[in-house]
Amino acid sequence: MGLPMDPVAANVDAVEPWAGEAEPAQKPEEPSLSARQWVRQNLFSTPFNSVLTVVFGLFSLLVARGLLNFTFSEEREWDAVRTNLRLLFTHAYPEEQYIRIWVCVGTIVVLAGLSVGLLAGRGRGVSMKKLSLNLIGVGSAVALGVVLREPSVLKDADGEVLRDDDGVLRESFAAAMADRWAWWLAAAVLVGAGAALWHLLGDERRRKTFVPSVEMFVALVGLLVASAWVYPWGHYAFADGEFIAEPGRTVAMTTKLPWTVMWVLLIAAIATGRQLRRAGAGGGVRVALNLAWLLSPFVLYWVVLRDPALDWGRVATVDIPLAVLFAVGGAAVLWLLTDPRIGELGRIIATGLVGVAAFNWVAAFFGWYSMLQKVRLSFLLLALAALLAHNFAGERAQRLRLLGGWAAVTAVFHYMATIMNTPSTVETPTEALIGGFAVTVIVAVFTLLFSFPLGVLLALARTSKLPIFRVLATSFIEVIRGVPLITILIFCAVILKLFLPDGMSISLIAAATLGYTFFSAAYLAENVRGGLQSIRRGQFEASDAVGLTGVQRTVFIVLPQALRVSIPPLVGQMIATFKETSLLAIIGIFDLLRMANSVIPAQTQFLGVKREGLLFVCLVYWIFAYSMSKHSQRLEKKLGVGER
Amino acid sequence: MSVSDATTAVTAELAARDDMIVCEGVNKWFGDFQALDGISAVIKEREVVVVLGPSGSGKSTWIRCINRLEVHQEGRIVVDGVELTNDLRNIEKIRSEVGMVFQQFNLFPHLTVLDNITLAPIWVRKKPKRETEELARSLLERVGIPEQAEKYPGQLSGGQQQRVAIARALAMEPRIMLFDEPTSALDPEMIKEVLDVMKELATSGMTMMVVTHEMGFAREVADRVIFMEDGQIVETGTPEHFFTSPEEERTRLFLSQIL
Repeated sequence: MGLPMDPVAANVDAVEPWAGEAEPAQKPEEPSLSARQWVRQNLFSTPFNSVLTVVFGLFSLLVARGLLNFTFSEEREWDAVRTNLRLLFTHAYPEEQYIRIWVCVGTIVVLAGLSVGLLAGRGRGVSMKKLSLNLIGVGSAVALGVVLREPSVLKDADGEVLRDDDGVLRESFAAAMADRWAWWLAAAVLVGAGAALWHLLGDERRRKTFVPSVEMFVALVGLLVASAWVYPWGHYAFADGEFIAEPGRTVAMTTKLPWTVMWVLLIAAIATGRQLRRAGAGGGVRVALNLAWLLSPFVLYWVVLRDPALDWGRVATVDIPLAVLFAVGGAAVLWLLTDPRIGELGRIIATGLVGVAAFNWVAAFFGWYSMLQKVRLSFLLLALAALLAHNFAGERAQRLRLLGGWAAVTAVFHYMATIMNTPSTVETPTEALIGGFAVTVIVAVFTLLFSFPLGVLLALARTSKLPIFRVLATSFIEVIRGVPLITILIFCAVILKLFLPDGMSISLIAAATLGYTFFSAAYLAENVRGGLQSIRRGQFEASDAVGLTGVQRTVFIVLPQALRVSIPPLVGQMIATFKETSLLAIIGIFDLLRMANSVIPAQTQFLGVKREGLLFVCLVYWIFAYSMSKHSQRLEKKLGVGER
Repeated sequence: MSVSDATTAVTAELAARDDMIVCEGVNKWFGDFQALDGISAVIKEREVVVVLGPSGSGKSTWIRCINRLEVHQEGRIVVDGVELTNDLRNIEKIRSEVGMVFQQFNLFPHLTVLDNITLAPIWVRKKPKRETEELARSLLERVGIPEQAEKYPGQLSGGQQQRVAIARALAMEPRIMLFDEPTSALDPEMIKEVLDVMKELATSGMTMMVVTHEMGFAREVADRVIFMEDGQIVETGTPEHFFTSPEEERTRLFLSQIL
């Protein structure tokens, strides 16, 4: 603790500040070094270090030069990326349904804004000192880039590149520098702004004035959005089989309008969140927000993106009655099971329900009797609730709370099951609903959602006292960890279908998600197990001594501490999973990588144009992975991991 | 030494009370090492018993057997009329009747002081949350740190943590309190604050079994002192008897080293 906190990091305010101190300790203030002192102390402190600095400095300049020349070379066909942005992000999702995608993005923007507004409290933001240094740094980097990049090629009046015997002709260095006046101007503005900030504020104020990061982020996005309306970024699209490339215009209305709406939504959501916080919104709002986050992937994918064509007659006669039946019947069983006087009978009933639930699956496998899949799953849910019921035994209020929870779970489950079973109205040329980066995100999000609980359960099972759990979990983990991910994915994509009972099918994306989930869960389980093993014996003894049951001990004492310890490896695993989704391309799903690697290079206008797309894919993955890793660092600091 | 021998040392009034803890011929081994060797003793209601002995003598093992943190292999342990067997329900019942305070406090570091105290009453005793919080605050008042309710254990001093641990145990409204070297991990200036709480508890009539090296506490508060060595009970008696005229040579040797 005691580190400057960023408002985004304060997202975790909801999590208790664990073993942290009450007040962050005041860091003794070091006087700022002058630039010269800093350079001497850090870059040229000894002759050997000076040599290292020079050698590796030159090396980085060479790398930067290569990258710049590659990116900005006249040979690059960035039009291939620009025109195909829609393809890269959503593949063949029908254009007239695009509003659905914006609804999804908007929902996420609103949830994120609410979270930031509600939870980001004590953040101080970026200090003026850091801000001015960053401005100077970015400005200098721009200037350096302008100098480093080779001079542009010369073209004749028709736009043909001029050549002589040695190759293409380039303008002189001086002419190139003069041609790039706009870049010089940008660099000068950045450095100038940074320097002005630095000199206008004294050392004291530089360090103690903060720009709130949330506002800064919103302003930057606003600037970008505003530029879309005025600056001629160019209008590029690939729609109805036609390529549009009009460099002189501003971006298409279908781009700038939605993003402007998103920006307004973001501001509104942050403001609402802050208002709620100021009004003293308590745990209830936070729980609701977390629930909304948790449910949003399901609702957004199955309800918004798929637009199910519900058969209302069937909904009224089959789906709703079934849901009500399970809600009421289950509630009655749970009411009985939470009676404090029930004793041994409760365990017998719960075990019986588990038996019924299991038997339904066995029957399905052998085809003894048919049953709706969601009825089978409902029985499973009920058995699970029955097993946990004795923890809620006691007072009327407590029992009613369990019943309320059961009704809510049943309602959500039956709603989702109905929706998922209904065909989609969105028609695409491929089997999949959506492709491109969207499918990357969808697979990654669902993998995380499913693999996290599965991983925790596996870790608990592996450390369980019951040998059957231990053996099952250990075999699962070791088998999965011993097989390459790509093998698991191909197995799931090709072979899994053959194992399913008659009448059941699984889409390619679902099969892939299942494969990722298994793989990720096995690794998560090992990370969580590490956390479990770090819990001291005293914690178990204390839980036992106050009379907690095994389940209560795990849920209230062991897991919260174990998960906290495992945050760094867990986030690492999440980032790895996110990046590994690029393997989707190999099993035939049109994901981001496949778009850039196979689809775009096959278009007549951009035959064989691969490099630009791949570079773009790198950039997209990097932006997301880097933000996740940054966020996890803040989370670790906030939770005080590693400083027990 | 038999049960009757142990009880002759206490007054007739004490003998008339109910038995809270009865141990008969308790044996326990860690591998080949015999940690408890034929322990037999009876602890009466509202009695304060201090267990003394050199380290490794089995005092902690014994006290930990009483709420089944360790499993004894031979003999009987009966707590408040319930015999400790492998039956889970008996163990759960006994654990909710017996409070325990550890040398290392063992507070839950991720929960506030208040949550540390209320967790078990809410989930084990199934008490309403509000009522339990009131109880917790009154207990914090009783152990002298009402202002620390919202803090985390890591923000408290060792003495404060141990007092929270006592409050946590008391919140279950136990009939017996076990103390396993409650002051051994504390800085000297914090020992007194914990002992004061324990003295107050003893005066209030709680049945207590205390493993400690605090001779002052034993002399002042204990109804009875049990001296252990090598897993056996060597001598039992009132504090005056024990500290002034111990019968056994081994007891005298121990006292000469420690006093």
